[in-house]
Amino acid sequence: MNLSIKQLFGRKPKSSNIAKQRLKLVITQDRVDVDDRFMTRLHHELAEVLAKYFEFSANSVKMNLKQEGNSYILVADFPYTKFHDMSMRR
Amino acid sequence: MGKVIVVTSGKGGVGKTTSTANLGTALALLGKSVVLVDADVGLRNLDIVMGLESRVVYTSMDVIEKQCELNKALVRDRRVDGLMLLAASQKNNKDDMQPEQMKAICDKLRTTYDFTLVDSPAGIERGFRNASAGADEAIVVTTPDVSAIRDADRIIGLLQNVEIEPINLVINRFSPQLVGNGSMMDQADVLDILNIDLIGVVPEDSGVITSTNRGIPLVYEDGSPGAQAYMRIARRLTGQRIPIPDLEQKGLFSSIVNWFTKNR
Repeated sequence: MNLSIKQLFGRKPKSSNIAKQRLKLVITQDRVDVDDRFMTRLHHELAEVLAKYFEFSANSVKMNLKQEGNSYILVADFPYTKFHDMSMRR
Repeated sequence: MGKVIVVTSGKGGVGKTTSTANLGTALALLGKSVVLVDADVGLRNLDIVMGLESRVVYTSMDVIEKQCELNKALVRDRRVDGLMLLAASQKNNKDDMQPEQMKAICDKLRTTYDFTLVDSPAGIERGFRNASAGADEAIVVTTPDVSAIRDADRIIGLLQNVEIEPINLVINRFSPQLVGNGSMMDQADVLDILNIDLIGVVPEDSGVITSTNRGIPLVYEDGSPGAQAYMRIARRLTGQRIPIPDLEQKGLFSSIVNWFTKNR
């Protein structure tokens, strides 16, 4: 109902909203690009957790941030060579 | 011990120098002792915006090169008690100054003045590093447009890296009409993106142009919306709690539509 009233009066999307959405996206990317330390830290912390379950060589790991339409996706490749079966350890 | 506050923005032309001049003057009008430091070596402007250009004899570079004492390099603004200006050298450039040298000047000024406001040049390079070297706090000036906000975000990141705290935001050249009809981001939008504390919103005010023409900061002739906004920010800087008024101007039509949509 909210929408229909505004649509009734022929409203285009407000340019201020477009500005905000575009900015949010670009700033997300800027912050990650600038802060290499952030990606390095994330890499280390993820590796630490994953190492409990998988065996992988550190230099095969790839991580980056991809833009898809209106959002960013963190893509992390941790190709593993061995799976530590936690259930067997008990 | 006084505070050293760097006024910065990243992007040029958003009103750093105008804001420094008006906030410094406003603080002096409130009875504080203030020194304004122009850190834009090679492109100095704070002196002309303040209307003090004809009285500048020495600059911060002369102090650094030990050509004169710091106190002697300060130009007194005779229109109000306790307001001083330290001009930048026009014949040097930003690389002629080291961040530690600016820090030494700020450390000295802090012992005498309640507020030292450092007007930073645009950019994120040496000039910005010099300007922020001695700062305890920062004021980031932005306008509500995509390029200024993006640059402000970059500057905020750099200030956080060197642990300058707090970082307060001034939204300048805010147009209540444009926000009202949805063509300009409002303060909530800007804060949602930048995520720092807002210390004031300065509306677009044509008085800024005439006051700059004459070299008389807006706050000397109060009454204009811009002057009032700067006075409120100055009061907040002194620790007074003053609410930030909602400047958004809603048209009759959109008010009616909003009333209907909100009341459902």
